[in-house]
Order: sequence, then C-alpha cells, then structure tokens
Amino acid sequence: MIRKYMWMLILIAVLALSGCGKSGSKNDTVHLALSADIVTMDSHKTTNDYIVPMNVFDTLFSLKKNDDGSTRIDNSLVEKYELSDDALTYHFTLRDGVVFSDGTPLTAQDVKFTFERILKLPDSAQTDCVIIIDGAQDMLDGKADSLRGITVEDDKNFSITLTAPFSGFTSLLATPAMVIYSEKNVTEAGDDFGMVPGKTIGSGPYIIKEWTRGSGLVFEYNPRYWGPEPSVKKVDMKVMEPQAMDLAFQKGDLDILDCLFLDSAIVNSTYKTDTYKDRIVSVDRLGQNFILMNENIEPLGNVQVRKAIQQAINRESILNSIFAGDGKLEDGIFPTGCVGYSKNNQGWLKYDPDNAKKLLADAGYADGFDLEICLDSTANDSIKNAVQVISENLKAVGINASIRSIDHASYLDLRNSGEMPCFWAFWLLDYNDPDNIIYTFFGSKDNVKLRSLNYSDDSVIQRVAAAKTIGKEADRLAEYEALEKKILQDDAACVPMFSTKHLFVISDRVETFIPHWAGWSDIYFDQITLK
Amino acid sequence: MKELPKRLLGIIIVMILVIALIFVMLRIIPGDPASVLLNEHVSQANIDRLTKSMGLDKSLPEQFFGYLGGVLRGDLGQSYYMQQPVSSLILQAFPYTIRLTLLSIVFAWTMGIVSGIFSAMYNDHFPDYLFRGTALLGISVPVFMVALFLQYLFYYRLSLLPLVYDGSIVSMILPAIALGWNSAGSVARLMRSSLMDELDANYMDTARAKGLIYKKAVIFHAFKNAILPVITMMALQLAEMLSGAVITESVFSIPGLGKLALTALQTRDMPLLQGTVLFTAFLIAVGGILADFINTLLNPRLRLG
Amino acid sequence: MIKLLRQNKTALISGAVILVVIILSTLAPLLSKYSETSQDLAHRLMAPGNGHLFGTDELGRDVLTRILYGTRVSLFIALLPTALAVVVGTFAGVCSALFNGVIDFAIMRFADVMLSIPGMLLSMVVLYTFGGSLSSVVIALILIEWGGIARVVRTRALEIYQKEYIEAAIITGAGQGRIIFFHIIPNLIPTLIVLFTLNIPSSILAESTLSFLGIGIQPPQVSLGLMTGYSRQYLFQMPWLSLAPSGMVMLLVLSFNFLGDAIRDILDPKRRQL
Repeated sequence: MIRKYMWMLILIAVLALSGCGKSGSKNDTVHLALSADIVTMDSHKTTNDYIVPMNVFDTLFSLKKNDDGSTRIDNSLVEKYELSDDALTYHFTLRDGVVFSDGTPLTAQDVKFTFERILKLPDSAQTDCVIIIDGAQDMLDGKADSLRGITVEDDKNFSITLTAPFSGFTSLLATPAMVIYSEKNVTEAGDDFGMVPGKTIGSGPYIIKEWTRGSGLVFEYNPRYWGPEPSVKKVDMKVMEPQAMDLAFQKGDLDILDCLFLDSAIVNSTYKTDTYKDRIVSVDRLGQNFILMNENIEPLGNVQVRKAIQQAINRESILNSIFAGDGKLEDGIFPTGCVGYSKNNQGWLKYDPDNAKKLLADAGYADGFDLEICLDSTANDSIKNAVQVISENLKAVGINASIRSIDHASYLDLRNSGEMPCFWAFWLLDYNDPDNIIYTFFGSKDNVKLRSLNYSDDSVIQRVAAAKTIGKEADRLAEYEALEKKILQDDAACVPMFSTKHLFVISDRVETFIPHWAGWSDIYFDQITLK
Repeated sequence: MKELPKRLLGIIIVMILVIALIFVMLRIIPGDPASVLLNEHVSQANIDRLTKSMGLDKSLPEQFFGYLGGVLRGDLGQSYYMQQPVSSLILQAFPYTIRLTLLSIVFAWTMGIVSGIFSAMYNDHFPDYLFRGTALLGISVPVFMVALFLQYLFYYRLSLLPLVYDGSIVSMILPAIALGWNSAGSVARLMRSSLMDELDANYMDTARAKGLIYKKAVIFHAFKNAILPVITMMALQLAEMLSGAVITESVFSIPGLGKLALTALQTRDMPLLQGTVLFTAFLIAVGGILADFINTLLNPRLRLG
Repeated sequence: MIKLLRQNKTALISGAVILVVIILSTLAPLLSKYSETSQDLAHRLMAPGNGHLFGTDELGRDVLTRILYGTRVSLFIALLPTALAVVVGTFAGVCSALFNGVIDFAIMRFADVMLSIPGMLLSMVVLYTFGGSLSSVVIALILIEWGGIARVVRTRALEIYQKEYIEAAIITGAGQGRIIFFHIIPNLIPTLIVLFTLNIPSSILAESTLSFLGIGIQPPQVSLGLMTGYSRQYLFQMPWLSLAPSGMVMLLVLSFNFLGDAIRDILDPKRRQL
C-alpha cells in the first residue's frame, strides 16, 4: 500500500540518481583511505599529518628500508655532502634541475628560509628538529633574526653547522617535518600556505589538487617532478571509519587497506585467507610499546614494585591473542631494526607471576595496592583490549588495577602534568636514531615529567642527553646499550612490551607496494606500482 | 507578532549566556589545545610557545572580554586547532549540514506522516504496531548501528549507493535516512495522536456512522486539521537536526557543523566551539520563533507561553 | 471504556516485556555460570554454541552473561537519571510558572541555554570533566533532559493555574504551598508520568552513544551501549557480537516507547501537551 509505494519511490529515486552519479575510476588512479582528516598541509604546524609533506614535498635525504630490515639514507634533494673533521659542519650540494611544481627553481636559500621559518613561526610545532643547528636557540629566544648555522654559498651550495656532533643528523633531515619549502611560494601564499591546495606548492612527486575538510584529499602527479615518474598518476583519499574501509576494500573501491584499524581477529578471518593472503604486505613497525610507571605515585616509586609489574604482565599472551602473533617481544627501549638495538639487552624479562608476588611481598605490598591504568579513549581497539588483559594480569598478583579511560585532550593534559600513574605508551620512530626514542622518554627533566615517568636518576638523564653528541659511533652505541640496561633492568622504569607488524592488504590492481620504512600509516604514493 | 522584540532580546541574552557558559566549561575541563596540537611530539618549550601564540597565557577576563569584543565586532576569531578563521570554517561546513538536514527532513516527514496516518487508521491493530514499530525503529537502535546497516545493505549487498559522502547528492541519501529515521518516530507519534484527536471529535462520529466508504474521505478531512501541530514541530526539528548530526556526519565522513563542533570540543578549540555552538543556538532560536509564528498563523486561538 | 482497555493491551504487552527483562537481569548471577568480566584469551570471538549461547567477545567473555549484566546498567541508566531529570525539570517548571518575572525569566533562559547547546556536546563536557563512570553519565543525562521537561511542565502548570478551582482556592485563602502541593502537583502527575516514560528511550540511547565514543561506562563495567559500540567493528564478520546487545537495546527502547505511548493515550486523551 502506501508503505510499499514509499519504498518504491525511494528505490526509483535511488536508481535514477545513482545512474548519473558514478563514474568509472581511471586505471592510474589509486583509492586510499584516511582514518581522520588532516588539520594542515604545513609540516611546520603539525606533528601528526604527514601525508601531504611526504608526497607533495621533498626532504634533503630519504630513508629507505633494506631487504634485511636495516635502513639506509639515500640522497634526495641533496646531490652530495661532506662532513667536516670535527663532525660539526655539513657541506651540501643540491641536486641540479629541481623545480617546484609551479616552475620556481630550488635554491640553497630556500633551505635556509625553511629552517628559519620553523624557528620564526609563533605556532611552530617542529622547533625540536632544528634546535641542534648553531644559532637556533638564539633565534627562538629572539636574540637573532637569522640562522647563523646555515651559510648559503651560492644557489646550489650551503653548509649547516651544528652546536654538537650528531650522527643522526642526516637521518633527521629525512623526516617529513624537514621538507623544503620555496621561499617565494610560501611568502606569496601567506596564511593560505598549508591551507589552500593551489597555494601549497612543493617539489615532490605529487601536487595537491583538492582538500575537502573532513572528507578527503585528491593528489595528482607533478609533471615537473625531478625523480622517476611514479606509476600512480592520481590518488583519491577519503576519510573513512574502519568498518567503511573494510567494506570498501572488499568491494574493490579501495586499493590499499590499512589493517592497523581492524581487529586482528577480522584480519585473520577475512584477509589471512586464500583469497587475500598473497596480497598482504607486511612491514615491521619500528616502534616500541611500553607500560610506563610514574615514580611519583606510591608505591610505584619502589623499584621492587616496578620489577614485580614487569614480571606480572603476560606479554606473550597479549601479543599472541590480541595482536595475532604479528610482532616480536622486545626487552629493550630500542626496537628491532632501530639503530642502537642491542641483542645483549634481550631475553632478560620473563613472565613470572609467582616471583612478582614475592617481589611485592618483599617490598611490603603482600596485600597488593590500588593502581589506576589510564587509557586514551581514542586509542586503537587492540590497545584497549590489551589494557584490560594487563589489568587482569595485575589482579592475579594481587594488585588491584582499574582502568580509567580518558578523552584524548584530558589524557594528554594529565600525562604532560606528570601525574598519570600508569599507562600504555607507544613510540614510532621519526628517524632511525636511538636518540629519537630514548630522548623522548628519558632525555631531560621536562621529558620525564611530560611522559609521567618522573624517572628520578638525574645522572642517567644527563647521560641520555649527552649520548646524542658522542662523536665516535661505536662509543655512542655502547653508551646507549649501557643506558638501556640501566633504565630497564636495574631501575625498571617501565615495562618494555613488543613491537608489532603493520599489515596492509593490496587490491588486485596493485602490483607492488612498499610501506613507509618505519611502518607508519602514512605512505609514499610513488612506492605503489599498478599492474 | 508583537512579542517579537521580547523574543529577540531573549535570544541575545541566551547567546551571551552561551558564550559565558562555554568559556567556563572549557576552563573546567582538563586539556589544552597546545597539547592536542603537539600530541605525542610534545616538549615543554613548544607547549609554552603555542600557548603564547594562542593567547592562552593572558588572564581569563582578558581572554573572555577579548573574545566577546571580537564577537560584537563580528569577528569569531581564529581556530586554534584548524588554524583558520572560525567564520570561514563554519561557512564551509554549513552547506553540507543544510543539505543533509533538508534531505533527512524530507525522509522523516514522509515516513513519519505516512506511518502516523496508518497507525491512527488502524489504531491498536496489527498495521498500527507495524508502522509505529518501523517508525520507532530509527530511535530504537543507536544511530551508528543504523548507519552501519544501511552501508552494509545499500552499498555492500545491493551496490546501489556510495559508502561515504563523495560530493554527490546521491551519497547524501544514506546519511539522510540514518538521521531522518531518528525523527520519523516522533513525527509519526505526533501525527498519530493528533489524527486520533480529530477522529475522536464529534463530527467524525457522524461521518463514521455513514459507513466505511467515508473512512478515506474522513482521513483526508481530519488530516487537514491534524497536520497543524506536526508542522509546528517540524520547524523545531529542523533546528534539532542541524545540531544532532554528529555521529551521522562522522560515520559518513560529511564535513558538516556537527563534526566541526565535535572536533572543536575534542581539541579544546574555544573559538571554534563558541562559533559553532553560537551558530546552531541561533538557528535553534530562529526555528523556535518560526514554529511559534506558524503556530499562531495556523491556529490563532492558541496562546503559547 | 472499551477503548481504554484496548489501549491497555499495548501497555500490558510492553510492560510485561520490560518486567521480564528486569527479572532476567536481576537474576543474572543465577542464570549464568560465567562471570561478566572473566577473560579467556584462548577462546576469544567464538561463534555461538559450545556452552556460549551468543558466543564470546574479544576477550573471550561470555556474551550472554555480559548482556544480562549490561542490561542492569542500562536499566539503571534508563530509570534513575530520567526520574531525577523529571524531578529537577518539574521543580524548575513549577517555580517558573508560579513566580512570574525575574525568576521565570532566569529559569527559562537558563533552560534555553541548555537546550541551545547540542545535548551530545553538553554531556561530553560533563564526562570529560568528571571522567567516564556511571555517576557522570547520570549527571550528564539529567543536564540534557531537564530543560525540555521544565518547559512542558511550565506551560502545563500555567494552564492548571488558570483553572477555576485554583482561583476558587485562592479566594478561599489557600496559601501558595497548599496550592502547589494540593492542586498543581497532583494535576501535573499524568503529564509527568508521560514525560518520564517518553524520556527513558532517549536516556538508553544517549548512554549507548556516549559509550560508543568511549567516554561513557568504563570497562570492566559493562552496559549494552558499551557492548554495542565496542563490537561494531565485528559487525560484518561476527554479527552476533553486536546484534545481541543492540537487539536488547531495541527491545527495551521499543517497549518503553510503546508503553509511553499507551500511558499517554490513557492519561492524556486530549493529547494537548505532548
């Protein structure tokens, strides 16, 4: 009756409309998904949204992964470079013939401009990346107007002087935070730079064509790109919820499915099947998961208690069930594949609830204590599950653990205030250097507070900061190994958990796909080749 | 409408109270925009820099009156998180929201009115339950589940409609159903009861006595009177939908106002949250006046408090 | 009279459904041999069968048991905050109706402010401030519901106030208190019952949306909303996980809706107010 009519009407409308809407996707277009929209395309104003910097802009160097899992640093915008004997001054020569997508040629002055901009912008988020350059602190303090550590010799040649030797510097220059802007374009665009596609111009393999806030991005191949022409000519990225990605991929409307957003059980039942298993691309995430403990919160200040917690958590069962075994237990601060990873510091941590109970009893907590584990409400579901398992693990040795889920902003606020008792932390490398991870957690009094560790051994904190500038690489790595042992095994400052694999599933249109070297969700589009 | 000046004064007062309330709220909730922007890559120096560049290091009265002064001059400020003028962000988002809202209203009213009529006609018989049940289904299941089912059915199984919003009006259909179904229940409920009211009236008894053949005519006759309160409700609902689409917009990736307000709250973006809430509050107030206006127009006997 | 009985049929059926659900969830510990929180990682995400009628969830917990326990929380959420919101809303509405002028204006503008801010955002603010827990959800729901109730109550109270018997009472020298408690409140009761039942479904759904966003009820505590929200990721592959709890939500909400309609039909046959 009328109801029947209504459905028919809707169906007719739908059919009529869908007839004119859809257009077939072209062969060299790749469809990708984003879990959340970006905020800005300007890498100086974000520490999260690197998809545009990675594909529209270029860095001086680029990091690539070797077949054996190690990483190497390739030249990108730099043709060649030399390091002075005191390991302080780098002399760079830029690649010939690089132009931005509007035709402006790249010059050494652009490099200087870019790094100065990081320091000059009042809302810059990346000052940490350039602070090691001589004169950067003076600029930040307003004592200088230009960066004296960078000397431009001519259009192609320039040198950068550091305040102290840092062997990870070229690796640091390969992070998307350090992409090179064109002085002319940035100045002309003004406030529109990073906000308006047509005015955000780089020298990378792609041009950003469209950005619909909250909905998606469209990239197109940059015909002026200096490097080899990529296989993918157009990229259509849509913001989608995880379930939508799953559906879209199965319907063939998505070319790469990022399994990070799906539960491992779904990946197992749907994608590790005969239909898809040959199309799974896996990369080790160069990152470490930790359970951090706050020494200022009683009784976590007691090292015996922290050691008990280290042994009470059944890392293996969490990795094998919730993460489907796609990972590797890590007993150190530096994950497998990270420069500084030490075999000597592996294998010492064993799940031993009985010993944990004994340690607790020795420490005077035979009856246990209350412990609040904080959880970011926007965390990945796997982490939410894992935290629930951990709280059960702790209950089993008598610690009355409860979970407190907090919204993202409050979570960060609590953590930065140094008052979060215990939580899951994850660090994914930005550049392949031990300093990137250990400095973040243990490198300064500020940092141990910002991570709510409140690690109390000041001499270790000073050693961590100093290790960065040890000139001789072997000595430097030995120092990191000693620090890693001291912090985790002697002081039990946190529980090292495991590193995980990052799985992607590619559609049958994709021939090869090489994920980011550290297993980020952000990918380089030119690493995709189509059939 | 001689009450109009009084109503407008009321709206202005409400607006100022809304500004004050949100300002106070964002000072009470933990979390600050600088930390959110830096996220994991936090350092004390950068927190301090950003706090200063956002003007959050100023005293509270200075911040509040600074903002209020801006609003009075028509300047809604700059979003901390999105790093763009709030007014331009709202203007970007509004067209999506209005499109979604209008489509859902069409769906809600069609479905609500039709099922309301059937419910009233077959009061407490099977068709009544069926239609009420269908209409109420939209408010019986969390909206994110409705949305997922629609995606599964119309995109995955039937390949009829796009999965998420892609700029075309076709891709608005599923979100409109998900959102509209929510309101269809209340439209149906009101339609049913006001129609039954009319059917109870004495003149209907006479009509009914004349036989079943009259039933349809009667429905149409009664319908004319019964639709009045429903129309009044519509204006209010329009405003409600404008602000109530947060989840729907997220699931279908529609960059509308609801999502903007949600992001603003999640990132403690005071100017953006103020802007979006003020804007929707204004729309709701206008909707309210409109509803009353239509009401007095259609039904002069009614006096509303 | 016949009509009234017929309408009661709806009330009877939906009331019975609600009663059965209440009894089942109260008896949860007797009905299930599992605990709602005990994990079994070796048996996660099992399909229905093998001693688990609705299978197991992402941490190997029995879904049926969790639904029974979750229903307790959801029922609590359905009844307590709604009742409190009605109390607050009635108080505000009656005050507003009786004290013309400044108090009326203040209360109503305050209600306007609350209604101007989208309810979702308002409740999120509460949960962000106090952290996710049962009590914060209760506060949040009261905050978003009282305003609408106050408006209706005010209008209704004004109508009652203008009735002849109130005028008569005033003439005979009855005090304000007497008028409120002996004349206004009793006459408001049908309206209040209807408001109460009609607000229950929205409370249940609001809780599920907040838990869906991860800021409502916190694990290991369980509510239907939390289960539905959490298991939505498995909807297409392991549908029982989300269909079972959302089915329960649907059953409850539909029953309360039908009950509310029926009660309104009986108590407010003129349907003037709602």
